[in-house]
Amino acid sequence: MLPKYNTSVKKVDNEEKMSGMAIFTGDIRMDDALFAIPVRSTISYGKILKINVPGLPKGYYFVSAKDIVKENVCNIIASDWPVFADKETHYKGETIGLIVGPDKKIAIDLATMVHAEYEEYEPVYEMKNSYVHKEFNKGNPGLFKNATKVFSESFETGYQEQIYLEPQGMLMWLEDKKIVIKASMQCPFYIKNAVVRTLGCKPEKVRVIQPAVGGAFGGKEHYPSLMAAQLATAIVKIKKPIKMIFDRKEDITFTTKRHPSKTEISAYMDKNDNIIGVKIHVGIDGGAYVGCSMVVLARALIACTNTYTFDNVAVTGDAYCTNKVPSAAFRGFGSPQSIYAMEMFINHLADFLHVKPLELRNKYLVKTGDITSTNGIFRDKIILKELMDKAMEMSDYKRKLEEYSKPGSYRGIGMSTFLHGCGFTGSGESTIINAQLRIKKDKNGIVTFYTSQVDFGQGNKTTLKRIVVDTLGIPEDHVIYDAPDTDETLSTGPTAASRTIIIVGGLAAKAAQHLKEIWKDGEEQEIVEPYVGPSYIKWDDDTMQGDAYPGYAWGVNIVEVSVDPITYEVTIEHCWSTYDVGHAIDERILIGQADGGLAQALGWAYLEKEVMENGVFKQKTLSDYVIPTMVDLPQMETAIIDNPFPYGAFGAKGAGELTFAGGAPAFCLAVEQAINRKIHKIPATPEYIMELIENGD
Amino acid sequence: MIRHFVPASLEEALRIINKNNCYIMSGGTDLMVQKHVSTGLLPNFDRSVLYVMGLKELDYIKNESDGSVSIGATTRFVDIEKSELVPEIYKKVIREIASPNIRNMATMTGNIANASPAGDSIVPLVLNDAYVVLSSLNGERKVPVKDFVLGVRKTDRKNEEIITKIVLLPQNLKYFYRKVGSRKAESITKVSFLGAYRIENNIIKDFRVAFGSVSIKVVRNLEVENKYKNIKASELNIDEVIKDYSPLVTPITDQRSNKEYRHKVAMNLLRKFLEEIKGGQNE
Repeated sequence: MLPKYNTSVKKVDNEEKMSGMAIFTGDIRMDDALFAIPVRSTISYGKILKINVPGLPKGYYFVSAKDIVKENVCNIIASDWPVFADKETHYKGETIGLIVGPDKKIAIDLATMVHAEYEEYEPVYEMKNSYVHKEFNKGNPGLFKNATKVFSESFETGYQEQIYLEPQGMLMWLEDKKIVIKASMQCPFYIKNAVVRTLGCKPEKVRVIQPAVGGAFGGKEHYPSLMAAQLATAIVKIKKPIKMIFDRKEDITFTTKRHPSKTEISAYMDKNDNIIGVKIHVGIDGGAYVGCSMVVLARALIACTNTYTFDNVAVTGDAYCTNKVPSAAFRGFGSPQSIYAMEMFINHLADFLHVKPLELRNKYLVKTGDITSTNGIFRDKIILKELMDKAMEMSDYKRKLEEYSKPGSYRGIGMSTFLHGCGFTGSGESTIINAQLRIKKDKNGIVTFYTSQVDFGQGNKTTLKRIVVDTLGIPEDHVIYDAPDTDETLSTGPTAASRTIIIVGGLAAKAAQHLKEIWKDGEEQEIVEPYVGPSYIKWDDDTMQGDAYPGYAWGVNIVEVSVDPITYEVTIEHCWSTYDVGHAIDERILIGQADGGLAQALGWAYLEKEVMENGVFKQKTLSDYVIPTMVDLPQMETAIIDNPFPYGAFGAKGAGELTFAGGAPAFCLAVEQAINRKIHKIPATPEYIMELIENGD
Repeated sequence: MIRHFVPASLEEALRIINKNNCYIMSGGTDLMVQKHVSTGLLPNFDRSVLYVMGLKELDYIKNESDGSVSIGATTRFVDIEKSELVPEIYKKVIREIASPNIRNMATMTGNIANASPAGDSIVPLVLNDAYVVLSSLNGERKVPVKDFVLGVRKTDRKNEEIITKIVLLPQNLKYFYRKVGSRKAESITKVSFLGAYRIENNIIKDFRVAFGSVSIKVVRNLEVENKYKNIKASELNIDEVIKDYSPLVTPITDQRSNKEYRHKVAMNLLRKFLEEIKGGQNE
């Protein structure tokens, strides 16, 4: 039985977070802990000839590639990012070593006195050298040559910084011959594996415990692995507790960001203006190391036809190597970039073909049973049309669209539709992650279950617990669910890819159900529940063919704006959203994702400008890299339409990333109407809007 | 040696600063950020610091017999914003500075002394001919705010002086103010505009224009202003005024905006203001 739809409970961590009692990494007192201060390369690309280290006072250490125990490799999918830059440095700010010592001020001063000598090479900052290339086709792209009309455009998106409330930080110490780590993180087992790999030690020698975490958004998926590998190298040498906590400026300047992108799309039409097919190339700026860029690229490519079905599709993509801070995970993982491009394109194409955008969208809108761009099948019931109708009704879209089209209205309304593939790509959940969930019951009937899922504010500590409580039908205080400790829990995978509820939630429900079935009062019982994916999911990573995801979540955003013709500033007047996330376990938590995801997407769309010049970000502080405040954001109305998914817990699919996907195109389409110009890049700042108004598009 | 002085009185403060080259800290909302090193560490002051925020005798807003309003140097923005004695235009400007929590600490005197091209409160002070009073053991001197700010982080304060008050002169003007920042709250100004005028019997009796954030200091030009005084409002040639101001507005491109945008918006705001003056004729 489903729990009552749209019921909401108080989040289990409300009190400790609201009262300030929660202990974050930086709050942990360990009086003998040493401070680790990174020494960073000062050039974008070159050979490291020599590192000159000043005479160090007693108790201070310099740790570098020379101290690597086993492998100078940070375990981030591609294995090309070194723990410490050794023979070469590939971006300005790359860590060439750590100064470690008891006094932070002295350590900082010493770090500035370390001087590396380089032989500089010519750095590359533009997207021109591809290090990952992917391509796939659907149907017959050979038919493109029969086209009587072709329409082509390209779209660019910029960097985005996560601005989690709590900057990156890590504390590491030795206990019972183990390395113990507490850190601001998303993925305890990623950190553990990174340490095991660089040290070449046994997995049981590393223990990762999650303290309170203040936000992540993908920014703490991979970067903490690098910090952990560095500190582990140091702790083997020094054998004392070490902490490394970044200040905001350091975090903005040197940690991973959202990939900038450039997407080129061409549509080929026959003489009746039917679309024969589309050709798409997505380019993303991966920075100095591949890291996870091939997976980000894959997701961007799989999502590039967004909510439309075209019979013939030719997709290519490249991740480019540049001498910049590596780009990595950020809510959406590449798909918001290509979805943005397709949403803008389909509207511009409608203008080109002299039809109403809504008409063109509807003509190609995905329906249940359609073939995906990777020749998989959209099997589950798609209710996109209902989502659109509901959003249009809530916002009075059609009337406003008409009204604001009058010249000089300086108002506009824009709509986006979007999808998000939940969980790891393809069969990755069963072949790579292989989640296993442990649940046990003591003699008194108290149930404890373990996951490696981190609650960094999104609420899964509450939601996962609730799934187990509701399944077992026992009181809430009879279920214990603590933050992950890798000595207690098996890996249920990373807290990423909108997989927590759809995959781990489903697994938790199944484990609880099995426990319920064998429940014997007064006995200790334990179950390890392995993840078993839907058997129909078949995926070939090399050819990018098959079912890309176990399930899809869907959404619609409508954004209304006004533009000040004197200052070119945009005011977001109102936002409306509708979502199909299967079934909402807790509506209030879902609304938190809906409002937060859209706010973050709008920031990306018009405010958050991060420009790199000669390998250095120009915006380094929160006064220069601006994110929206409460005053900048409007009322947001959200409706959720129930459409239970058979494989998720109580019918739930993923929601965390979905809510980011549509904000930018809906915003830009609204601004386009207000200024009567076409937008081809974000952030659409007032400076860019002025240029468009003055010079035309 | 870096020393930290916490004087009990202005007199003591003056004696300290007479002998020591000090940073003067009141709200600390700029200095503490500028001298920040890292979490958990003391700020990195390269000179001694004189903490004046505790000087009650400098925390006041009062009417003077000549009709002016004086604001003591340690009076915080939050109190200025609430005061019935302070002209509305200043309050309007203050309400858009930083955030309520910053305004609870920051002082207008600090905003002047920090001499940032983006210092918002300097704009109305310059436009309204306000002045600061500087005190030292040798006495006092008055300096118009317009002349006090010399450039980016440069002022006319001598090492042994403390700004003790700001004096606002009453004006009979209509104002037009716009701050353009990177977002709607807590933003650093990209460009700001303040225009003021007084029309009597269809004649422009007073005409003033100031731009913030578009040059190293607030842009105000008396020569241009005088040119448009004592003419009929209906005869104001908007394009001519814009042509006069255009070369005076010389913004830069930085991490927050670009010079083309700043210049264009400054001129757009000037035009809007001029249209209001002309439009006022038909009321």
